[in-house]
Formats: sequence, C-alpha cells, structure tokens
Amino acid sequence: MPVLREVIDVLTMKSDRPVRRLVAYYVILGIIVAVAAFFFPAEIARISAKGLGDVPEGPSVLTDALSSPNTGVTFGLGSLLGVAITTVLILIGALVLILPVTWVYMSARPSGGQHNQNVVQTLVILPLVVAGIVFMVQNSLALAFSLAGVVGAVRFRTTLRDSRDLVYVFLSIVVGFSAGVQSLAVGAVVSIVFNFVLIITWRYDYGRNMLMPTAAAQWSRPLQALASPTGDHQIPDRDLLLSLTPEKANALADRFDRVRDTIGKKKKARYNSVLTITTDNVPNAQKRLEQLLDKVTKRWDLDEVVTNVGKPSELYYLVRLKKSVPRDILLTAIHENASDVIASVDLESSGELAEEKADGKG
Amino acid sequence: MIHARSFVLLAGLAPWLAGCRETPQAKAAEIQAVEAARKQSLARRLALADADPAKRLPVAQWIMPPELREISGLALTARGTVLTHDDNIGRVYEVDPRTGILLKGFSLEGGVRGDFEAITTAGTDVYLLESKGKIFKFKEGADASQVPYTVFDTRLGKECEFESLVYEADSTRFVMVCKKIRGRNEPHEVLIYRFPVPLDLATMSMLRVPIEDIVGSNKWKGFHPSDINIDPFTKNYVMIASREKGLLVLTPDGDVVRSEPLPEGHRQPEGVAITPDSILIISDEANEKPAAITLYRWRP
Repeated sequence: MPVLREVIDVLTMKSDRPVRRLVAYYVILGIIVAVAAFFFPAEIARISAKGLGDVPEGPSVLTDALSSPNTGVTFGLGSLLGVAITTVLILIGALVLILPVTWVYMSARPSGGQHNQNVVQTLVILPLVVAGIVFMVQNSLALAFSLAGVVGAVRFRTTLRDSRDLVYVFLSIVVGFSAGVQSLAVGAVVSIVFNFVLIITWRYDYGRNMLMPTAAAQWSRPLQALASPTGDHQIPDRDLLLSLTPEKANALADRFDRVRDTIGKKKKARYNSVLTITTDNVPNAQKRLEQLLDKVTKRWDLDEVVTNVGKPSELYYLVRLKKSVPRDILLTAIHENASDVIASVDLESSGELAEEKADGKG
Repeated sequence: MIHARSFVLLAGLAPWLAGCRETPQAKAAEIQAVEAARKQSLARRLALADADPAKRLPVAQWIMPPELREISGLALTARGTVLTHDDNIGRVYEVDPRTGILLKGFSLEGGVRGDFEAITTAGTDVYLLESKGKIFKFKEGADASQVPYTVFDTRLGKECEFESLVYEADSTRFVMVCKKIRGRNEPHEVLIYRFPVPLDLATMSMLRVPIEDIVGSNKWKGFHPSDINIDPFTKNYVMIASREKGLLVLTPDGDVVRSEPLPEGHRQPEGVAITPDSILIISDEANEKPAAITLYRWRP
C-alpha cells in the first residue's frame, strides 16, 4: 500500500483532491489490468467478461478421461487449482474495485459528519463474501434464492446512521456479484461511475436546501481574513483563538513565524503541528519522546528547548502527523510511553496557518 | 528507495512473464502433437472394440471445459466434427470427437439467453431448439464471433417440453420429440412432431409411439427423450433418455427396433450423435462428475 500511495502521489503531484486521486488509482489499475490481460488473456477474460455474451476461451484440447488417470472423470488437482486461482482472482478483483469506494465513503461526508468505521470495514468484506457465495451457486436455481438471502442479509438487524450508507452497501453487493459471476468488467464500470458521481455530488453539495448557506460560504469570511496580507498571527480556528490567552497567542504566533521560516514557501507544509511538552527531566523526556516520534509521526524536528528554573522546562517539536495516527492517538501514545518524565503535553495544528501566511506574504 | 526497488522487481519479472505467455505457434504445435497421438490411440481402441463386440466400453471420453458443464445437444457437421452448445446461453462450440480438440466457439448475437436443449444442422444452417419450442436459425461463425439469428416459434411450447430436434435430410423435415407432455405426469405415449423445412407448421404431422412398446423388458416407468439423431446407415431415429438412462431406436414409421439401457457411467446424458464411420457419441451434463463426451462403437 505505501508503494501504491507513493505512485498515486507522483501521478497527482501530491494533490489531496479526491477526484485526482481516484483518477490516478483507476489509471494505475487500468495499466495493471492491461499488462495482466496481455500476459494472461484467458484468465483475465474469465474473471472480467464471462457471461456477457462473448465466448470464453476454454482449453483448446479437452482432457482425455480414458488415458489420463490423474484428471480422469473426477475433478483432479489441475481443475481444483484452476478453481482456486479463479477464486483468488475474483476476490482480488472485488477488493481492488471496492477500495476506492471506501475512500469515497470516508471522504464524501456531509459537513461535520463522521464516517462509520464499521460500515467501512463491512464495505471491504461484504463483496468478498458475496463473490464467494455467487461463485458457488451461479448457473443454478439456488442463485435466485441466494440473491434474496443476500439482499435480506443487508439489514444486519441494525440501523444505519445515514441512509446513504445503504447505497454503499448495495454497491458492495454489486461488486461482489460481478466478481462472483466472473463479470468484473461490469463491477468495474459500476464502481467507477458510482465513485465519480458521488464525489461530484458531494463536492458541489448537490441537492442542498437553497435557504441554507453552503459549507464554503460559512468559511469564506475567516478564509478571506486569513488570506489578507495584514492578517498576521491570525489562526483559522476561531474557537482555538478565543481559547488562548494573549501571552499564549503571542508565543504561538512567534513559533508559527519560525515554522514558516523552517518550511520556507513550499506549497505543502513539511510540518502540520506543534508538539509542546513540559518536563522536569529534559534529557530523559527528550530521549523517550524522540524514540516514539520516530515511530508514530511522518517527520519531526526539535524546534526549541526552553529551560526554566522553578517550573517545568518546555520542549517544542515541529511534527508532521501520519494519517493513520491522528492527534488523539499520538497524545495517548506519549502519555503511555513518557508519563513518568513529562508534566504535560499539547499538540496544536498549524500547518494551514503557516502555509496561508507564507502565501499571503509572498 | 521504494520506487527503485519496485522498478527493479518489475524489470526482473517482465522477461519471465513474457516467457510465460503462450504463443500461437507453441499452442498450434501442442495441438498437432495431441491430435496425432489421439488419432492413433482412437484407432487402437476402435480395433479393440470391434474385436470384442459384447463389451460396451467407451473408446474415448473427452472432459469438457467448465464453460460447457451444462452441455446439451449434439449435431454432426459435414466435416465430421460435432457442434454442441451451452444450456443457458446461446453459445455453440465445435469439437473434433476423434481427438477431443475444441476447434471453435461462437455466440448468438447479443448473448441471447434461454433454455437451449438441442442442436441440429441442415446444409449450411444451424438450428438451436429452446425447450418451449422456439427454433433459432443461424449460420456457423468464426471462433469467438457473434452470429445473427432468426427465431421461429413452433407454438408447441404450451403442449410439450422439448429437448430433441434433428433434421431428417431424406425427407427434408424437422423431427422434434416431446420430452414431457404438459399436464400429464406419466403419459402413455411418446409424441413425435415432424414438419418440413423451410419451417411450415401447416403441414406438421404427429407420430405417437406407445410407452409399453418402448419400455419393453426394461424397468422404466416411462421414456423422456433428451435428444434424438438419425442413424446414418438405417435412417432410424436414435433417442436417448436422461431420466431412464436408456437408448431407443425407432423406425421413421414408429416401430421400436430396440430399447436398452445405456452403458454404465452416464449420469445425465443429454445429447446423441452417430458418425458415418459408426461411432456413437453421447454427451453428459456435469452432475457430480464434469461434463463429458463419450464415444462408443455403434452397432445399428
């Protein structure tokens, strides 16, 4: 996955825009499928376009049941291996088609909405299970009954928080079915169109109540203030600003200036947070923290050590958080690993401010 | 660093993958080798079968690929090959019965679906029968192609469920056998419909054969034909029944020549054909065992 992420980063020039990342993912997927289809055309045709009217490429030479005891009239090792390979291929196919759907699901939430992790994991697992079921029962009367069973199982005896979650679950079933009946081409098209339509409807807030302000409108004023060349030392989060004392705000502003000097005027900030530690045991705290930061952050840099007498000293780190280790998890990890040598810990996000300020002054 | 390793890995794998790709030349050479070896093997087995006519052992059995697990009817071509088809989708395959080589496969345009039960040829035309009496007419296509077709509805679907169709060249007519008369559990007769080609229902005739004549000394409760073909030597009708696992030979006038159980090992016989060089071919749908075409020495 890190390799895939890096390739997507290269293709999208590290853009965080979901449409660009989706396009990059599907381009990579298309290239992989094209290469695989070139080298293994029969296998790719078998899992992607079977049952769509064209003739599948079977073996040209039929097995001789009388003089081949190994393959005989019962299914032998060869056919079992063939079934196993086909099964693995359709499951991988279902997985690579459903992954971008989960990304869209996690990204395209209404303003302030949180995605449900259970649904995300269900979306990943469900098509694999459905593909397995359909692969087992295809071309039989049982398929009709299994369809009803699978659709009935979607309820899970639980209520989904957002009715749109159900649409994702149904898409998950479609992908599973397409894999199960070895027609992944259908699943691919449905998945791609679904993802782009959903991203676009989310991006343009399609279907919103015209009397309500858009998310962009709500943020336009603070963003304009932030972009102003005279708006030095402003921070984007109004609540955070109001919670600071004047001294704290000034200290933070000074630190942000240093951050800006550290990161230069690159479009993307190298660090997006400031980690503040107070401790009575600077050497030990520094050693323990830096070992931990190596593991749980993308990158970090010791910005400043303020040694105090009569009160705890302060350590300031510039940190780039990993997406997989959000703020809360990082703070918890610090508490768990260094609670005996630190007095307090705080993490302030500042990446956007530094970036905007740099742009504004530039 | 990760990039560099990925590229090195891909660069290393590419020649190996390229080597794995099956070239048309290698495939053709493999098929030629198999063809030669199997023709020799078949000749030897036929000689053994002729030497001991009492033994009804198969002389060849070809296991069908998974796509043909629902194999149904068989039809001989002028080239000596057999056409067979999928049960649910309008797909036709050509197999060389002497070597077990799958020569080609083509589909009816648009991937038409239906309950296809029998296939027959009349000159350059191929006909597929759907169980409700619809007949699809088309020409043979190239490998992996799609062919246009026309449909003729016999309107007999309300009366019968069909699984058998054959073209009787001598009298230029179709012969369709009713597998199950709708509304009757165990009919006392087998109904055989015959109508001329080009298809004309106005001159259709019907032949009734009493069940007791067919059953004879066998322990069958009825006879449900799953395919019919013409004996090229006697011009008799040769039928097989999947339920009874039996074989029936009838004269065109409806007189029973013989009825007997099929040799052991047929789980679901769905198709029958007889070659001009006296080989009986029976196709079996997959049923616990994979689908197969089995060859016997034919004795009229």
